[in-house]
Amino acid sequence: MARFGETVGRVATLPLVLIARAFDPVLRLWQRGTGTGGMVAFFLLPNMAIFGVFVIIPLVLNFVYSLTGGTNILLGDRSFIGFGQYGRLLECGNYLQPLTCREDQFWTAVRNTSLFVLFQVSLMVCVSMITALILNRNIAGRGFFRAVFFFPVLLSPVVVGLIWRWILQRQGLMNLIVTNLGFDPVVWLNDRFFAFAAAIGVSTWAHMGFYTLILLAGLQAIPKDLYEAAEMDATPPARVFWRITLPLLGPNLAVVLVLALIRGVQIFDEAYVLTGGGPGTSTLFLTQYIYEVGFASFLRNPGLAAAASILMGLVLVVLTLIQLGLSRRAERGNTR
Amino acid sequence: MGRIALEGIRKSFGTVDVIHGIDLEIGEGELVVFVGPSGCGKSTLLRLIAGLDQPTSGKIEIDGVDVTRKGAADRGLAMVFQSYALYPHMTVRQNLSFGLENARMPKAEIDQRVEEAARMLDIGELLTRRPTQLSGGQRQRVAIGRAIVRNPTAFLLDEPLSNLDAELRGTMRAELAALHARLATTMIYVTHDQIEAMTLADRIVVLRKGRIEQVDTPLNLYNRPQNLFVAGFIGAPNMNFFVTEAKSGRAALPGGAEVVLDHAGPVTIGIRPQHLRLAQDSERAIAAKVHLVEALGAETVVHASAEGAGSILTVLEGQPLIERGAEIRLAFDDENIHAFDADGQRIG
Repeated sequence: MARFGETVGRVATLPLVLIARAFDPVLRLWQRGTGTGGMVAFFLLPNMAIFGVFVIIPLVLNFVYSLTGGTNILLGDRSFIGFGQYGRLLECGNYLQPLTCREDQFWTAVRNTSLFVLFQVSLMVCVSMITALILNRNIAGRGFFRAVFFFPVLLSPVVVGLIWRWILQRQGLMNLIVTNLGFDPVVWLNDRFFAFAAAIGVSTWAHMGFYTLILLAGLQAIPKDLYEAAEMDATPPARVFWRITLPLLGPNLAVVLVLALIRGVQIFDEAYVLTGGGPGTSTLFLTQYIYEVGFASFLRNPGLAAAASILMGLVLVVLTLIQLGLSRRAERGNTR
Repeated sequence: MGRIALEGIRKSFGTVDVIHGIDLEIGEGELVVFVGPSGCGKSTLLRLIAGLDQPTSGKIEIDGVDVTRKGAADRGLAMVFQSYALYPHMTVRQNLSFGLENARMPKAEIDQRVEEAARMLDIGELLTRRPTQLSGGQRQRVAIGRAIVRNPTAFLLDEPLSNLDAELRGTMRAELAALHARLATTMIYVTHDQIEAMTLADRIVVLRKGRIEQVDTPLNLYNRPQNLFVAGFIGAPNMNFFVTEAKSGRAALPGGAEVVLDHAGPVTIGIRPQHLRLAQDSERAIAAKVHLVEALGAETVVHASAEGAGSILTVLEGQPLIERGAEIRLAFDDENIHAFDADGQRIG
């Protein structure tokens, strides 16, 4: 039996072996020329090439575009205008009142995105934490519930948007329930408040499984002995949570915060499918603004879109650095 | 304060019975050691007393109060865990005071208790450090300190020295003994280390497969083991056993030696390696052939075998000149013989 398995294994890996053998002379030559240290560069090269082509070059191009003006998409046909696009975006009478800004839609999107991030990330962390705490308990059907909460993560954001649009539309499932309960139907997605709340709720539902998983892993890494020591110390459950669970979950929480924050700022697909940015501009988020200005509007302005995306990128970098700093501090706090 | 009584304690995990009806009384201020091989249920029994697990049936009393269904927090006990279980994100001071803060004790009293425990355990300079900045021995002290500050009815110690190296274990063992003498509080100590059990205990509880085999003082366990298991488990190296038949009040050992026994039928004769010596010419003795000699300086361990008896271990004083392959005769005194019947129970 073992011999049979060995043969099957050999046949299955034959293509890989042949490819490896084909590369062998090249690798030998490279190693002879560069030494063992050069091999590190050789193996990193494919990944770095992909990173360069799909991240670094577009990033540089994006920055170059942000220094140009006009509606032409080809860089050669565009005129260099320096930091004019940034000036246009940042020109504002009162940043808290988008209508006083030259690019009022940009500032509306900034305001909407900021509010979205504030509420969605808070909600996401709370809901994920509560779910992780429940799933960490020895409840019946724990495996089933873990799958249920993780399942939406596997769905495409567009599918998520479509499902919830169907649920929340005028003749959707939600209104069926509402009317059966004896209330008047609500036009959920045409109401500024409900549409914004729906965008928050839907994106939380779609992604919370992932964050729950990170927190669950953190909870399971906390030694059981510590809880038993706390039990011997007559620690009330709330104090166990605040003084033991939460501090020890610090590094995982920081990861969740960073990721949720980045995803929150980048919110686009499910919200776009769900509300299309409406009603009015009540759910217009930054990424949608960039997409519409750069590609979808009649008078497209790739330079302005590029400048907006650079500004958004800078905000993301700053947020990430802050969160990473907090995460390292939390980690040091736990291990020192 | 600190009397603990167990009555018919049973514990099952699903269909697996782990503890099979334990009755035990632990006196005030006594240091009792639970000892036994891995899986014998000693840690489970300790957790049942602590209240971290609930018995399937039976009763646990502390100072005459039934605490069987009470939680760990309500039993007034303190536990030192094998892993120390120190809160890694708190300083030593915070670790020590955490339990007292839960009891809403005034800050001044908390500080006083922490300082006192720190002085007692010589960890005063470590109060601002975190557990990961401490050595194994220091962590152990902090874990003990955390138990001491609570001024408990009894201390429960679950293999507290097992993570330390041999030298530190020796030092900490002595310190624990001194601490018990100073505090005079009841202690229940779980270990698989015989030396810890023998040196620390007022009484030792030998457990096997969830049952008590014998409860006695360390020397009584060594001198008068009540059954074959205890005889083989207590004492290092292990006791030599000779399976033989008692007829007409006598049992024959390999090499023609005989022992007088008031018993008839199959018996197992046990003699500790330390109780065998090289025989004089005319002396009654067991004949054996030497396979290995381990000269340890103060004593010499001789591995030999006797016809029909398998291997025999002998610990001889000093450095006798014995070579591998030599034929030796091993003598013994009657008062050092342990005899067990076919059921493994002590005879006489």
